[in-house]
Amino acid sequence: MSTTSSEAVGCGWRRADGRVGIRNHIVVLSTVALTDRLATLAGASVEGVLTIAPAFERGLRGRDAALQERVVNAIVRHPNTGAVLLLAHDPAAARGLETRFAEAATASGPARALRTISLMEAGGYEAALEASVEALETLRAATRAPAGDALALADLSVALECGGSDATSSACANPAIGRFVDRLVAAGGTAIVSETAEFIGAEAIVRERASDAAVAERVLACLGRVERLMGEDGENYRGVNPTAENIEAGLTTLVEKSMGAICKIGSSSIAGCLDYAEAPAVPGLHFMDTPFFSPVSLTGMMAAGCQLTLFGMGVFNPSGNPLTPTVKVCGNPQTLAAWGSEIDVDVSGVIDGGLSPGGAGEAVAEAVRAVVSGELTRAERRGEGQVIVPRSVPAL
Amino acid sequence: MHRTSLRIHPDDTVATLLDTRTELTTHGDALPSRIGIPFGHKAALVAMRRGDPVVKYGVVIGHATADITPGEHVHVHNVE
Repeated sequence: MSTTSSEAVGCGWRRADGRVGIRNHIVVLSTVALTDRLATLAGASVEGVLTIAPAFERGLRGRDAALQERVVNAIVRHPNTGAVLLLAHDPAAARGLETRFAEAATASGPARALRTISLMEAGGYEAALEASVEALETLRAATRAPAGDALALADLSVALECGGSDATSSACANPAIGRFVDRLVAAGGTAIVSETAEFIGAEAIVRERASDAAVAERVLACLGRVERLMGEDGENYRGVNPTAENIEAGLTTLVEKSMGAICKIGSSSIAGCLDYAEAPAVPGLHFMDTPFFSPVSLTGMMAAGCQLTLFGMGVFNPSGNPLTPTVKVCGNPQTLAAWGSEIDVDVSGVIDGGLSPGGAGEAVAEAVRAVVSGELTRAERRGEGQVIVPRSVPAL
Repeated sequence: MHRTSLRIHPDDTVATLLDTRTELTTHGDALPSRIGIPFGHKAALVAMRRGDPVVKYGVVIGHATADITPGEHVHVHNVE
């Protein structure tokens, strides 16, 4: 199928910053763990609200503080966020958030509706809950507009992930995702792949595929850092990565796992190397330096603005992200038999030749069109997904 | 009847068995495979000596920690 940058894939919501959401979530975000319970109670009281309560901490230092702040910014300004209620503990924090996130309408789109509430300022728990519910009702009333802005492949930024990797991941699911990525990138769209540890062993491919030597050096430096970490503490990481379930499924070494994981990037060149939760400055395929635990890497790619995740699955893995709909693609017939209710795309036909590799790529593209058009993914229906920011130093 | 298997690269010394019929003793084009190798696991395509590279995707994914005969299960018990 031919692709052009104007190939329409559905309708979305164009935001003031020009990005397009494929969801119009009313989010209640708890900005500190002290308000997580309030967020959960308020979110559960109003239909259609997405609660994000990630146990954010105070007393973080240096890079950890910066990353947490980066992720808060990204959730509020995420293209899939239509309106947001920010919960803070103290009034000063609430005022700070109001100032930080106030935005104006532009020619691209309207300003995002925003409210902030301080738990302490409410003067009582029932009052805080009542005010939060009322704010969410108001935001919901203000965000009912249906998706009305045409969305092309070039508007899409897609996170690439795999979990529960096994032999079918490299034979079926990941190459099917890779074919869609080729099409996405050719049309001017963006894809981000992460999990630094799962590139160990694929150094030659990184060198071959990086758009220039500087990008290759940056990616290889990330791999080298993780490889040193794995070597310096004397631990044997077999059973950690590859995980126990990878080994049971037949994967023997990390290099074998990496070579399968890399199938999901397709054949495009790697345009850039991103820090955790860093948004790419240009379209194309990007590498992001993240830990390998999928809720953590998915959080990083969500924070980079990805509106959608393509997730290659071997044995079952429930991972998702609350703000970035996760499309599960699986080629393992046994996983499909037991966990079919949690899987969006079945590409197991590739094993016996009933489905061609091109047909598997088309099945992924079809699922993307459906999800962009509003069809809920299995993970969305399940309410699956976490926001987890990595930590590197002890907090105060 | 042969088990469905996948040899990814011509240089590979292992093939992946993508077939649940673990009782069969052959795979691919009548290559040998030991009974009981689970779905998704690997069978040796060639004889390997301890220390030999194990090749899949055309790259070295590990080294044999024991001598391996063609058709034998290749996994964490004999590869590192």
